[in-house]
Amino acid sequence: MTVTMIYHLLPLLILAFGIGLSLLLVAWRRSQKLILIFTLAIFLCTLIASILLPITIGDSVQVTPLLKVDSYGNFAFILVLIASISVSLLSSKWLASSLEEYDEYFILIQLVALGAGILVMSDHYAALFLGFELLSIALVGLVGYGKNCQFSVETSFKYLILSACASSFMLLGIAFIYSQTGSLKFESLNLNSGYELFYQAGMLLFLVGVAFKLSLAPFHFWTPDVYQGAPLPITLLLATVSKVSIFIVLMKCWFSQAYLMPVQAHNETMYSLISLLAITSMLVGNSLALRQENIKRILAYSSIAHMGYLLIVLLIISPKSTTLAWQSALFYLSAYILATISIFTALMLTQDKKEDSAAKIKYWQGLFWQRRSLALLIIISVLSLAGIPLTAGFIGKFYLLNIAVQAQQWWLIGALIIGSGIALFYYLNMIFVLFHLEPKLNENRDGKSSAFVEVSMVSQVAIYCLVLLGLYWGVFPDTLSQLFAAQ
Amino acid sequence: MNITLIMCSLVFAGALAWFFEGIKPKSARYVSLVSVLLITLFFVYSIISSDSSINFNQLYVLERISWIESFNIEYVLAVDNLSLVLVSLTLFLTLICILVSWQEIKEKAGFYYFNLLISIAGIVGVFTAIDMFLFFFFWEVMLLPMTALIAIWGHENRHFAAIKFFIFTQVSSLLMLVAIIAMAAIHKEQIGQWSFFYQDWLMLVLPLSLTQYLMLGFFIAFAVKLPSVPVHSWLPDAHTQAPTAGSVLLAGVLLKTGAYGLIRFVIQLFPEASINFAPIAATLGVVSILYGAKMAFAQQDFKRLVAYSSISHMGFVMLALFSFNALAYQGAIFTLVAHGLSSAALFSLAGMIYSRIHSRNLVDMGGFWLSAPRMGGFALAFAAAAFGLPGLANFVAEFLSLVGAFQVYPVLTICAALGLIGSAIYGMVLFQNSFQGSLGSRKKDSFTELSIRELVVCTSLTFLLIVLGFFPSLVLDFFQANQLVLVVNELSGVQS
Repeated sequence: MTVTMIYHLLPLLILAFGIGLSLLLVAWRRSQKLILIFTLAIFLCTLIASILLPITIGDSVQVTPLLKVDSYGNFAFILVLIASISVSLLSSKWLASSLEEYDEYFILIQLVALGAGILVMSDHYAALFLGFELLSIALVGLVGYGKNCQFSVETSFKYLILSACASSFMLLGIAFIYSQTGSLKFESLNLNSGYELFYQAGMLLFLVGVAFKLSLAPFHFWTPDVYQGAPLPITLLLATVSKVSIFIVLMKCWFSQAYLMPVQAHNETMYSLISLLAITSMLVGNSLALRQENIKRILAYSSIAHMGYLLIVLLIISPKSTTLAWQSALFYLSAYILATISIFTALMLTQDKKEDSAAKIKYWQGLFWQRRSLALLIIISVLSLAGIPLTAGFIGKFYLLNIAVQAQQWWLIGALIIGSGIALFYYLNMIFVLFHLEPKLNENRDGKSSAFVEVSMVSQVAIYCLVLLGLYWGVFPDTLSQLFAAQ
Repeated sequence: MNITLIMCSLVFAGALAWFFEGIKPKSARYVSLVSVLLITLFFVYSIISSDSSINFNQLYVLERISWIESFNIEYVLAVDNLSLVLVSLTLFLTLICILVSWQEIKEKAGFYYFNLLISIAGIVGVFTAIDMFLFFFFWEVMLLPMTALIAIWGHENRHFAAIKFFIFTQVSSLLMLVAIIAMAAIHKEQIGQWSFFYQDWLMLVLPLSLTQYLMLGFFIAFAVKLPSVPVHSWLPDAHTQAPTAGSVLLAGVLLKTGAYGLIRFVIQLFPEASINFAPIAATLGVVSILYGAKMAFAQQDFKRLVAYSSISHMGFVMLALFSFNALAYQGAIFTLVAHGLSSAALFSLAGMIYSRIHSRNLVDMGGFWLSAPRMGGFALAFAAAAFGLPGLANFVAEFLSLVGAFQVYPVLTICAALGLIGSAIYGMVLFQNSFQGSLGSRKKDSFTELSIRELVVCTSLTFLLIVLGFFPSLVLDFFQANQLVLVVNELSGVQS
C-alpha cells in the first residue's frame, strides 16, 4: 500500500468511513433530517474526491490485486454517486409521507453505493463478488422497506431469492474459471487451451449471474414486479446504480479476456450467445411493455430493452475499438441515468397519494396544460429513452449504431431498429397522454389546479436544470464525451 | 443569404406567438402571420440582392462550423436552385397554413403556432443541410412538432394516426441513419478520418456490392416520406386526422422532403446503384400512380380522397426521377411545385368545407354551388389542377415527366398515363359530390360564401397555379444548366 494507492482509493475509503459514522450517528440520535444531511454530505465528499482524482484518460492504477482504479471506472463511480444523491433527495420526499422508521434506510443506500463503487473498480473475481453481494443484500433490505405497501413482502422475497440464485450461479461460474486459469484476476493469460470447454461453461454461468442483475431476457422475470413493488426511490436505485455498476464490471471483465477477442477466432460461441441475449432483450422488453398501463412496469420493461441495446458494445471485433466501446457505454449510460432520474423525479412530484405502486399513465392526463415544467421534463426524458434527436439518448444510440456498424453486426442493428420502432408506440403514448385536452373525468370538480400537486420553487429549479441538461447534452454531446474521452 | 437566421427567427417567432397568446388570447395568429411575412420578405430580398457572381446551379456553401468534434460532424448549410425553390414553396405554404388555421384552432392556439413554426424551421433545415448528421437532425426536428400537430389538434382518431405516422418515419429513418453511419465509417477507412460532409462523400469510390445496400437504406427512408406503395399506409390516416394546416403542410412540403432526398442524396451519391435499382423504383412509381388513383376514386372521405391522389401524384416523381432523363427530371421538379400548390389548395378547401358542415364525408355534401358559387368556382379550378388540365401547373409537370420517362420505359409510361384518366375520374367525383346535386335537407343560406381571408388563400393559390401553368419557364429555367441535369445526361448516356 503506497500513498498513491491510498490516494486513489480515497473515494471508496471516505464512503466506507462515512457508513461507519452513520451507524454511530443512528445510535446517538434518531432524526430523519440529520441522517439525510449526513448521507448527502458523505456522498458529496466522495464525489469531490472522485472528481479530483488525477487520472488521465485511459490510465489506470492497480490498488492491491483486488482493485484497479481507472478513468472509466472512476467516471462510472461519479455516475453512481450522482444517482445515489438523487435517490437520497427523492427518498426524503417519499419518507416524509411515510410513518416508518427511516434511519437505516439511508445507511442501506450508502451500502449500495459502496458495493457499486467496489464493482466498478474491481479487477478480480473476489472483489467483484464482494461488491455484488454488498449491493444485492443492501438492495433486498431496501426493496421491501415500505412495510405497509401492498407488494412489499412479495417484492423483497422475489428479489432475495432470485438474486441469491444469480449469485450462486455466478459463484459456480467463477469456480469453473478458476479451475482453468488458476487465478481470480480478470486478465487470464495462461489459459490452458486444452480445457476451454470448462472455461466457456464458467463464463456462461458468470454471464447468467450478471444477466439476472441486468435483467436481460430471458432472466428478466423479476424486473417488472420488483420495479412496481419497491418504493419509488428504490426503483430508481435499482434502475441506475445497480445496472450501471454491474454493466461496467461486465465490460471490464469482458475486455480483459484477451481470449475473447476474435483474433483468436474460436470465440464464436460466446459472441453469438451475447448477440442472442441482446436481441431477445431488445425484442422481449419492448414488446412486453406495449400492453402495460403502470408507469413503473413500463420503465421496467424498457430497461430490459435498454440493457439489450447496451450489450452491443461488448461485441467489438478488434481490441482497437475498445476505447470507442468504453466511450459509447459511458455516454449511453450517462444519458440513460439522466433520463431515468428525470422521469422518476417527475413521477415523484406528480404523486399526491402514497400508493406509488399504482402509478398509471392516465394519471398524467393533461399534465402539459397544468404543470408545464413537469410535463416538459417527462417529454424530454421519454424522448431521450426513445432515442430521438435533440436529446442525449439519441447521441447514445448513435454511438451504439456506430459500434454495431463497425463490427458489422447487422442482425443486432435490425433488432435495434425493430425494437426502437415497437418502443415508440408506448413512449409516444406516454407523451400523448400529457397533451390530453379533455378535463380529467375522475377528478374533483372544484377547480383545475387541484388535479396535480403544486411544485415547489426548489423542485422547479431542479426540473429546469434536468431539462436543460438533457437538451444540452443532446445538442452539444462533446461537452459530455470529453469528460471520459481524449480528444 | 442567411438561412440560419431564417430558421432561428422562425423558432423565435413561434416562441413569441406562444408567449403573446398567454397575454392576450387570439394574438398568436397575428404574431405568426406578421413574422412569417417578414421572414418571407427577408428571404426574397436576400435572393434578389445576393451576389450575381454566385452560381446557384451548384451547391453554394453558406456556413461551415465545427459541431461535434469527436465524429468530425459539422454544421454546414448550402443552397442551390433546388433548395431555393423548395424553401420558397415552404415559406409560401406556411402563410397559407396560418391563414387556414385562423378560425379552426381555438384551443391552445399559442402552442399550436409554436409547433407549426418549429416544424417549418426543421423543414427549411432539411432543404439546406448538407452535413448528413445535421440533415438527419433536421429530418427529426420537423417530425416531432408535426406529430404534435396531428396528435393534439387532429380529428377523432388522431392518436392512432400520429403514432402510425411517427413510427413509419422513425423506423425508416433509422435505416437511413445506419446507412449514414456506414458511409462515414467507410470514409474513415478510406481517407482516415470521420466525415459526414456530403461533398466529401461524393469523392468516395465505392464498390457496387456495398452501395446497393447503402442506397436502399436511404431509398426506403425517402420512399416512406414520398410516399410510395408499399410504404404509403401512414399517409391517408395522417392526412385525414390532421388539422387543415397539418394536411396542407404534410402534402405541400413534407412529402417534398422525400423527393428532395431522392434527388439530392440517393441519385447523386449512388448513381450506379440507382441505375441498377431504377426498374424496380419506376415500377413502384407506376404502381403508386395507378393504386393511388384507384383508391382515391373509392373514398367517401374528402381528405382521404385527396390523400390518395397525393400518392398518385408523387408516383410521377418517382417514375420521372428513376428514368434518368433530363426532361423527366425537370418534370419531377415541376411536379413537386405544382403538387405542392394543388394539394395544398384542395386540403384548404376541405378545411373550409369542414368548418361549415363539420363533416369530411362526401355523402353529407352536395349542392354547395347553389349557396357558394365563388367557392365552387375555385373548387372546380383546384380539381382541374389535380387532374392536370392544360393551362394549370400540374399539366406541364405530368406532361414533362411522361414525355421524359417514355424514352426509357415506354410500357411503364403508357400504364402511368392511364393514371391521368383515373385522376380525371376522382377529380370529377370529388367536385360533383360536393358542389353539384341537391342541397338535401340543408337550408340554402346555411352554407356561407368565402370570407375575405379564404378568398385570399384561394386566389393566391389559383393565381400561382395558372401562372406556372402558362409560364413554366419561371421555375424550369433554374434547372437548365443544373449540375444534376448534367449528371443525369451523363448517366442516361451510360445506360444506353
